[in-house]
Amino acid sequence: MHWDIVFRNFDYFLIGAYPKGPLGGLAMTVILAVGGIFGAFWLGLGVGLMRISKKPSLRWPAMAFIEIIRGTPLLMVVFWFYFLAPVVFGHTLPEAESALIALIVFTSAYIAEIVRAGVEALPKGQMEAARGTGLSHFQAMTHIILPQALFNMIPSFVNQFVSLTKDTSLAFIIGVNELTKAATQVNNRTLTAPTEIFITIAVLYFVICYCLTEFSRYLERRINRYQARGR
Amino acid sequence: MRKAARLTVLACLFTLVAAMPALAGKLDDIKSRGTLVAGVKDSQRPFGFVDEKTNQIVGFEIDLMQALATRLNAKLELKPVTSSTRIPMLTQGAVDIVAATMTHKKEREDQIDFSITYFMTGQKLLVKKDGGIKSVADLAGKKVGSVKGSTSEQNVKKAQPDCTVISFETYPEAFLALKQGKVQAVTTDESILVGIKNSDDKPEAWDIVGEYISPEPYGLGVAENDSDFRDFVNAALMDMWEKGEYQKIYDKWFGKTTKDYLPLTWKMELWP
Repeated sequence: MHWDIVFRNFDYFLIGAYPKGPLGGLAMTVILAVGGIFGAFWLGLGVGLMRISKKPSLRWPAMAFIEIIRGTPLLMVVFWFYFLAPVVFGHTLPEAESALIALIVFTSAYIAEIVRAGVEALPKGQMEAARGTGLSHFQAMTHIILPQALFNMIPSFVNQFVSLTKDTSLAFIIGVNELTKAATQVNNRTLTAPTEIFITIAVLYFVICYCLTEFSRYLERRINRYQARGR
Repeated sequence: MRKAARLTVLACLFTLVAAMPALAGKLDDIKSRGTLVAGVKDSQRPFGFVDEKTNQIVGFEIDLMQALATRLNAKLELKPVTSSTRIPMLTQGAVDIVAATMTHKKEREDQIDFSITYFMTGQKLLVKKDGGIKSVADLAGKKVGSVKGSTSEQNVKKAQPDCTVISFETYPEAFLALKQGKVQAVTTDESILVGIKNSDDKPEAWDIVGEYISPEPYGLGVAENDSDFRDFVNAALMDMWEKGEYQKIYDKWFGKTTKDYLPLTWKMELWP
């Protein structure tokens, strides 16, 4: 076994060439994951609410968006987006930004469907009662429906976010130096320790994903305290 | 059906991107920007790889690009590319030039232009020492490892129809299969085989044998129809060769004292 290769390159797996060069490795993976989660949540929420709207002008674009994205492999979205960006924006986007946008767009379609399921699962009476008290549709949504629905959605969200975290590894195809890419670079240079290197990488991925699920459990317990009081 | 239609739309859009004409001349672009953006390999020793000590991308092709940047009075900026992204990145303008172990092939001329050959290698076999395989002829009935989608895969099949080609995702995997006896030889460009052989714990246990199965001339990729820039690159390469700068860089990465010793057996095409 050649665990010394892993030890000697561990700093490269964690931060890449930083501070003497661009940031990479695990740090880049975490940036992509956190940025992706944040972006996909808000975009997905927006698209999801459009999807359940009664207005066709809102519902149809959302439906088209969801269907197109869900019918395309993520690898292709990442790859195509990088080469389509210059047409859309008029100049080339840096690789990491391009990958991040692709991840956000891709995941938001799934988040939108989770939002739709969560809102539709609430009894209809909730909305009717809220409107009955004189709240507008928007107020009823933000104050009555979403707080309840979002809580129920947490497990599905976490599922999607863990999936997103692992999907960041696909950014390597356009040359983003994240964890998988860093591992490939070291492996192709040394050639002698593929098993050790990729075990290390798998453990690192597990650690970030586990942190994410633990955080969601903590969040659920916390919100549950308030919920229990109300019921 | 719907998915197929969607894919068609995406494919059309992609063609549109690929067909976008190069705007201004690269030479002016680089001079006004002050940087030369080069697409290089980041995991192909010794052409372009991440140095263990400094964590920076170094290698033969990087030094060559540095020499070119110096001639342009520009700073060098490196962008890692892969075999699947190097041509689209060039046509789209994300990089000015590609130095990424790219074989100059006729079919690639449709999309990009090439400089003169800056590195000449050919496809050979990596085998166990004293394993009885001396040339392609000995491969009859044997299993040969290569990499998916590479030209090496097709070339060896053409040269020896009686062998079974097993394709792997990367060369390290093919080499692992050779070590475990799952294949009797690994075939690809000699320059890559040297790197694989010498990364092993016991390089002396392996041998690179045979005549060239196919020639593999590497060319620098430049944007299609930008003859000013291509002329400059060609002139720079010839100048490096004539002044001995090329040989110095070559010796640094492939010389006798290096791990990847590969004698310089070819001559660059020099225009009078």
